[in-house]
Amino acid sequence: MTRAGAGAHAARHSTAAHRTASVVAALLGSLCLLFLVAPIGRLVAGGGKSGVGELFTDAELRRSLWLTAVTATLAMTAGALGGTPLAYVLARRRFRGKAVVAAVLDLPLLIPHPVAGIALLLILGRESAVGRMLLHAGIRVAGSPIGIICAMMFVSAPLYISAAREAFARVDPRYESVARTLGDPAWRAFRRVTLPLSARGLIAAAVVMWARAVSEFGAIVILTYNPKVASVLSYDRFTSFGLTEALPVAAILSILALIPLVALRALRPDRGAGMDA
Amino acid sequence: MIQVAALDARVGTFRLRDITFAVPAGQYGVVIGPAGSGKTTLLETIAGIIAPQAGTVMLDGRDVTREPPERRRLGIVYQHGYLFPHLTVADNVAYGADDRAFAEAIAARVGASAFYDRPVRALSGGERQLVALARAFAVRPSVLLLDEPFSALDPRSRTQARRTVRALHRELGVTVLQVTHDFTEAGLLGDVAILLDNGQVLQAGPPDDLFRRPTTPYVAEFLGAENVFAGTVRAFAPSAADADFSGADELLARGHRPLEFRSGPLIIYAVGDAAEGSSHAVIRAEEITLSREMNPTSARNQFAGTIDEISTVGSFTRVSVDVGGVSLVAALTTRSVQELALAPGARVYASFKAMAVHLC
Repeated sequence: MTRAGAGAHAARHSTAAHRTASVVAALLGSLCLLFLVAPIGRLVAGGGKSGVGELFTDAELRRSLWLTAVTATLAMTAGALGGTPLAYVLARRRFRGKAVVAAVLDLPLLIPHPVAGIALLLILGRESAVGRMLLHAGIRVAGSPIGIICAMMFVSAPLYISAAREAFARVDPRYESVARTLGDPAWRAFRRVTLPLSARGLIAAAVVMWARAVSEFGAIVILTYNPKVASVLSYDRFTSFGLTEALPVAAILSILALIPLVALRALRPDRGAGMDA
Repeated sequence: MIQVAALDARVGTFRLRDITFAVPAGQYGVVIGPAGSGKTTLLETIAGIIAPQAGTVMLDGRDVTREPPERRRLGIVYQHGYLFPHLTVADNVAYGADDRAFAEAIAARVGASAFYDRPVRALSGGERQLVALARAFAVRPSVLLLDEPFSALDPRSRTQARRTVRALHRELGVTVLQVTHDFTEAGLLGDVAILLDNGQVLQAGPPDDLFRRPTTPYVAEFLGAENVFAGTVRAFAPSAADADFSGADELLARGHRPLEFRSGPLIIYAVGDAAEGSSHAVIRAEEITLSREMNPTSARNQFAGTIDEISTVGSFTRVSVDVGGVSLVAALTTRSVQELALAPGARVYASFKAMAVHLC
């Protein structure tokens, strides 16, 4: 074979290999997509219509959805209030043990959620010192909406802190430096410059936290079975009445999950937001 | 006034060490140094953005070393304006100002009125820098710190911005400290120049002193002196009519003396206070003149040589002359080069005054 012939052969061989790899990649990607979409699609197709109908007829479902939305919103608010300063410090300051703090904050994301529920029960349950103290003050955690909020916050706040930290890190600290030299004390520079520049990222972080809180089951079911949030209600109907009864609740939960998804799309940060120079 | 004494600061692994210099009130200081020399770290330490590990920063006679940036009465303008993108140009300029009318007047003064209502994102690089300058001036700072504020601008905008800053600096009596890696800018703007390298001040003083009387050969080469020679110095007694030493009376009266410097085939005559022994001679290229005929004044610092290279940039030309294996570089106007019909290979005489030789 001539050198030119060998070159053409190699090129043809390379094109064919590239095509095969593309086909395999597309196939694997499609299978993965199908695996993720098919169950939810089947769920919504099977129970969506009756689920929407039950919103009007099933008072327990309505109560449960309302409880879920309220507790998730309160958990999100508490998480944002405590998590924002923490995220800011992690994004801006250098200090000894920072990596350890960051790792500890991620821990609730890694442990199985029923284990998280057990851990919370140990700290906040009736048998614990804190739980007893709270009970004495008239605050019951386990078996109450407060327990739901605690469980939701425990499993979802790390997501908020991580995303908020990213949002702060995307804002060049020199904006703050300039604001400081223009007369702003640290807090005012944060409020007037860093906060508006990271606002989209922070709201997106809060939406992610809210969505995670709404979908929580494992930790909540340990801490507060009743009153039932939506995830516990769908589990309860499945174990008590079977698949058919659980389907409308499960379907309506899946449809409602679209709300934070759409919100996140709308909040996608502008390219270079906060990085303007 | 800016007074920095024995300042040490650390950012990551980089360290500023023992920085000491002063820029008198109302004067224009320029920090010159290559990339990574610590120029921005120095400005941010003076601004209070970076906490020093040792030393003091005094602004207008007040020790501000432990004060936060907002209490230092200074402004900072970075290479990229860092305009707040969520605010309008007008709100940016008025951000820290007590007096909105004054802020508006400053914006007009720097030529930012034309785009006062435009969003920040719609501004060009030059416009952003002007707005950033207006924002810094609008708080009536006593000290203004400029971190290469003109380097991202095109030559025309740069000249314009330089002129504006210089004029406002004079009108408002602000003490300015600007960092740059551009030696020309240092010469053009500065009353005081501070040469920084690897986190240390190599030399500080009037720019002319730095360029003409560098303390070390490293400084000389760093500042673009092309003629730096190593050799030995010894005292020398010129005749009363020696043309090389005419005009040196003042220096001689201050205790300087005529010196002879030998470096390879070159014997250079100088006036200075250098001790006898090993030394370096620095001659700025602008101080060397070229002629096709031997200079009849019989100046001692006159060397016959052959042109080995000519490089022209616009109206200025650098001519390299080989003198017995040593290269002397002369800076001439391009017009002079044409009039003298200089070309590689041509025989010429290079001459310079004894006063133009700096020994360090």
